[in-house]
Parts: sequence; C-alpha cells; structure tokens
Amino acid sequence: MARKSKHSRPDEAFEPYEEHAGVPMPVNWVAIALTIWGTAMLYDTGESVQESLQDRAEDSDVVAQSVPDEGTLLFGANCATCHQPDGRGLRDAVPPLAGSEIVAAGPDIVSRILLRGIDGPLTVVGQDFDGHMPSFDSALNDAEIAELASYVTTRWADTTEATAQTSEEVASLRAEIGDRGSFGGGAELAMMISSLPDQPPMPARSHVQAGDQAARDLVFAGRDQVWSCASCHGDLGQGDESTPRLAGLPGAYIVKQLQNFREGTRENESMQLVVQGLSDPEMTALGAYYTDLRVPSTARPVLSGDLKRGEQLALQGDWSIGVPACFTCHGPSGFGVAPNFPGLSAQHAPYLAAQLANWVGGQRHNDALGLMAQISEALSTQDRRAVADYLASLPPVPAGGASMARMETQDDQ
Amino acid sequence: MTNEPDDRPNVGTKDATSGGLARKAIFAAGGGLALVALATAAVQLEIVPRWLIGAGSEIDESAAAIEPSDLFTPPLPDMIPDGPFGEAVRRGEAIFTNTATNASDHVGNGLSCSNCHLDAGRHPKSAPMWAAWVTYPKYRSKNDQINTMEDRVRGCFTYSMNAQYSPTGKPPPVGDDIYRDLQSYFFWMATNAPTNVALEGIGFGKVEKPEMGYDLARGADVYQAKCSVCHGDDGQGQRDLNGDYTFPPLWGSDSFNWGAGMGRINTAAAFIKNNMPLSQPGSLTDQEAWDVAAFVDSHERPKDPRQSGTIEENRLANHDGDETLYGQVVNGAVLGQGTGPSAARAATMPKTQGN
Repeated sequence: MARKSKHSRPDEAFEPYEEHAGVPMPVNWVAIALTIWGTAMLYDTGESVQESLQDRAEDSDVVAQSVPDEGTLLFGANCATCHQPDGRGLRDAVPPLAGSEIVAAGPDIVSRILLRGIDGPLTVVGQDFDGHMPSFDSALNDAEIAELASYVTTRWADTTEATAQTSEEVASLRAEIGDRGSFGGGAELAMMISSLPDQPPMPARSHVQAGDQAARDLVFAGRDQVWSCASCHGDLGQGDESTPRLAGLPGAYIVKQLQNFREGTRENESMQLVVQGLSDPEMTALGAYYTDLRVPSTARPVLSGDLKRGEQLALQGDWSIGVPACFTCHGPSGFGVAPNFPGLSAQHAPYLAAQLANWVGGQRHNDALGLMAQISEALSTQDRRAVADYLASLPPVPAGGASMARMETQDDQ
Repeated sequence: MTNEPDDRPNVGTKDATSGGLARKAIFAAGGGLALVALATAAVQLEIVPRWLIGAGSEIDESAAAIEPSDLFTPPLPDMIPDGPFGEAVRRGEAIFTNTATNASDHVGNGLSCSNCHLDAGRHPKSAPMWAAWVTYPKYRSKNDQINTMEDRVRGCFTYSMNAQYSPTGKPPPVGDDIYRDLQSYFFWMATNAPTNVALEGIGFGKVEKPEMGYDLARGADVYQAKCSVCHGDDGQGQRDLNGDYTFPPLWGSDSFNWGAGMGRINTAAAFIKNNMPLSQPGSLTDQEAWDVAAFVDSHERPKDPRQSGTIEENRLANHDGDETLYGQVVNGAVLGQGTGPSAARAATMPKTQGN
C-alpha cells in the first residue's frame, strides 16, 4: 500500500526520466531510405552539373567563334530584309547593292542616302525601280551610320578608294543635310554622282496639304468630349510610350480602328469615349490626315528586350511555336501592307508589347481571322518585349508610301 | 523490467543489447532498402503524383519536346559551314527564298520557291526539301521516267515558276549552277536523314476527297472569309510599297501555270488544309479545303507549256480526271487558254520564242 501511494504521488524530489523505448523501427527505415536517396541524388546531380558546365563552355565557344562584326549585324538587322543578305535586292522592287553604280560612288554617298532616304524612280544596273527607301536619320546614330556605310562600300563597291567612314564625318553630314528630306530619285542622285548612268526623270512631287481643315481642327483643337488627337498622340502624330504613333499608318487601318473602338471590339477608355463624338466622314478625314504625315521616329527599344530574338521573330518567325515572321504579313521591314496589316516599324515598344498582351487578354479582338490573338498567345512575355523593342528600333515608313497606295487605288478605279 | 517499476529502466545490461542491437540494425537496413525499392518502383510505375516528386513543368516541357522529335529536324541556318560547300548552300538558300532575283533568267511570274515550301523549305507538310532530297532519284508518272533531283527542279521552273514568260523562256539548262546550289542546300538540310525513306512530314500530306466532292460556290465563300484578307479579293496577292509581293498571287499571269502541281485540286487542298491560313494550319475542314482549292484552281492562269495541240488534246494527255478543272467549262469559258504575261514580264521576254 505504501508503495502504491508513493507511486501515485511522487515526492518532490522526483525528476522526470524517459523510459527506454528505443527508436521505432519504421523511423529507422525512413532515415536509412532518405540517406540512400540523398546519396543517390548527390551523385546524380553532381554528374549533371558537370555536364551542364561542359555544355555551357562549349556553347560559349561556339558563340565566341561565330560572333560577326558590327557591320554585319547592323546590315542584317536594318538592310537585309529589302536588299537581301547577299545584297542582290528584289527583282522589280528593291535595287541591288552588289554592282550598284551608286554604292560604287563611295561611303559618303551611302551615308547621305542612309540619312535622307530615297523617294523617286531610279535605275540601277540597268533595271528600273520605284525607289522608296526610308530615312535612317532617326533610327541610327552617327557611329552606326558610319559603320554601315563602310560595310556596304567595302563589301560591294569595286573601288580602290577609301571605303571607311568615321562618325565625325557622319555628324557633319547630318548637320549639312538638315531637313532636306528624301532624295528625289535617281535624278537628284545623278546631280551628286557624275558617273551615274541615265536616270529616269523625277515626276513632279505634289505638295500635299496634309488633311482638310476639319481634320486639322479635330487634331489640334478637338471638340467637346472629343479632345484633340494631338494632346495624346503628339503634334506630329508621333505618339509616345503606350500611345501609338499614327503618322504613316494606312488611312483605312486608322478608320477601322476608330470604328472598332465604337463597336467595342477594341477596348480603351479614352478612345472609346472620343469616338462617341466622331462621324464616319470625320474618321475618314483623320485617316487621310495621319497617313500622309512623314515624321522621324521617336521610338526606342526601352523594354530591355532581347533584340537578337526580336529580329529573329520579325524576320524568320519561330515555327516551333507556330509563329511566322512578322514581316511575312506586315511587309519587309514592317512598313505595312494596307489596309489590314499596319506598319510596325518605328512604333513605340511599350504600345506594341501592350497590344500583344491585349490580343491575349481580350481587350482587342478586332483582328482578321483571329490571326494576332493566336500569335500573341504563342509568344512569351519576353518574346513580346523582344519583338516590340526590335520593331521600335527600325526607321519609319519611307516617304511616298501612302501616296503610292493612293495612286494604285486610282489606277483600279 | 516491469517487475522493477521503481527503478529506472535497466538499459545497460549486456544481454539486452548485444544481440538486439545487431538485430535492430539489420531490420532497419532491410526496411530502409525495402522502402527505397518500393519508392523507386512507385516512381517508375508513375503512380506517385507529379507534384510529390517535384517534377511539374520540367517534365511537361520535355514531354512537349518529345512529340515533334518524331519529325526530322533540319540543321539551323546558322549551322551552314564555311568554305566552298557552305557558300553553295547559302547561294541555294538565296535562290530558294528570292527566286525571281537569283534565278531571274528563268522565273516568269511573281513567285518564289518558299511561297509554297514554307520556312525556306524547312516546314513539314509544305513539301520540305529535307524530305524530298532523300527520295530521289525516283520514277514519276508525270514525265514517265526516272527523275533526278535536278530533273525534278527543272519541272518546278517549267511549271510553278512559269519559265515560259522568263527572259530566257526556259528553265535553267542541264548542269546549270542554279541546280548545283539548290541541291547543295537540299542536301545540307537533309543532314543525318535516312535515305530512300518517306520521312514524316513529306509532301503536303493527304486530304481525302470529301463525300460531297467540291463546289465552286462554297469555295468562293470560304475564300472570301479566310483567304481574301491576305491574297486579295481578286486573288492577285498584295504588294508592298516598293512593288514586291508580300502575299503571292494565286491565279492570273503572275502565278503558277496550268502544268504546276498546285493547279491540281487534291494537291492544293492538302497544302491549304495543312498550312493555311498561315499560323492556323488545320483550321479548315476537309470540305472547306477542297472547296476553296477548287475555287482557286477554277481561275485562268498561264497556259500549260506542254500544250502543243488543242486544249482538249492536252487535257486528255495531261489533265484527265476529276482533280483538275483544266479543259472544263467554268463560267462559260474553257479553262486552260492561258493568260498572257504581265507587262513587267513581257518587257523582259525574248522577242522570238522556240529558238
């Protein structure tokens, strides 16, 4: 009894102790299983780390071996879509650089053409061309123009004279040229290059007063709830950030977008409010106004996208994700094919990336056949930034594009 | 031990440990190994949920990567080697993608090879050249002889590129460098491909003729809804501001002639079903593909260069059957009379033909 009571009520000096119960056997099993697994994993990943290190070393070797020089890269990104990688141009459309009498005149002329662009007929190596080349003045800096001019003359001019151009020379050319606009075809070039063969005469350039007065009033003053276009899109329709550049877009494309805002197939709070007050004839007038504007690019690649990847998507596409090249439909260099495929070059990168997101997000569903929705879906966020940045780095649509499209419609009628 | 509840458990006694510890160790090791074996088996048999073994998206990616690897993959353009062979490959690629410029003397329309052989001849089911290369030489009933790849490409120039309206009026002569360069490009693209094998993705695929046959009115509706946005209401494609075709013409003087494979409804239907609209392959039904193919091939185009007598004679010789509309009356006119050359082509054609 004494024992019992002692047991049920321990004395004050009692210290708790643990009875020996051993570690349960399953815990041992798990511990040993985990040890084996851990060792196996260490061994396994150790091997693959080795392998990937080796791969990476090999990859960087390949890159290091085949990294082309600056001129080749610039030519590929800016010139090759029209003049082709081999510089042979496109029959009936784009003059060749190889064998060209103009390139043979030297880097100074090439730089001038890069800075001013060409708008007028010309004859190169016995072939006639319409001649619409953009001005790279706003897209490339002095060093890049100099690099390209040197590259083109070194590669294709059959000349013993110096083919190198310095950025200082380009800078002084830029100052000299000012805002003289594009070359008036081969006729104006022949005035600078005495050795040029006969050039076609330059048709009289009709000096178009951009848009009618009503359209100009809307653009610059607005009316009631229709605030002026220029208040967001800029005085020259150059746009900014996520407000699109309108200058040079096909008129019919602009009209369709305005109608789509009204119908709700394209969503944007500001634009949906503005279009409430616009009549159909006013939309047409605004389209005509903006398509005639030729304005330097103010777009820059600001999204830190991978420009190389962007160039690949624009020029070749990525068929492994079902994305054809942008330029397959939007025309070489993204100058657009009216009216369903707007120009993309010199458009603002944040706007472009936002639109790609909008196709996926459902704020935009006004695309023909759902083409853009599907393509945007296939592009990762990085891809969208990459391609937007590349397109923003391109020169704006060449002068004369819209007027030529107009001439064609007149021919049709 | 239970007889001595007062004392602390007597753990230290010899007999309790020596045998017991060894036995425990053996049991533990055995059990551990058994667990490892069970777990391995479970993972192998894929009865463990994926999230548990930390294999979510990675596994998915590799699974996605496995599927297309059934298809042959040609080397990438930046893997073209240096040296004389690599230069030939590059020239071949340039001819393939810019045919009117780089084989200018033999191209009589506004097309390039890569208009139908998409992605510069790399895309499966748009007659990829890596698949074609390994099937030649072969017998073709079209000309009833064994064809080398050069013979085959000469046929492309004759019909699809409409050489009759080109500056020379003829395809490149036998042994021309154009063939050498193009074949170098094809050969290089077929690097590591097995030979004399019909690789998956060869040709344009096949689309069986639907029970309802084909109908030009239905085809016109499909064309308007799905094709005209790019190829134009009039089928003449669309040009950029410099005049280059961004979208190729499907009929008329700047398109392929009546002898081309694409002028056959079954061939065009397969190409369309598997490739068009661009970026949306497979989106048309078989019926729509056949209807719209028939609609496209019901328009006039440059004449068949094989025609020496009447259209009817040429129809019997080369176009017999239900899969072409050549020689048949559509909208009140017999098809096959041919369009003349476009103004641009007429300007560069030889003044007298047949020399």
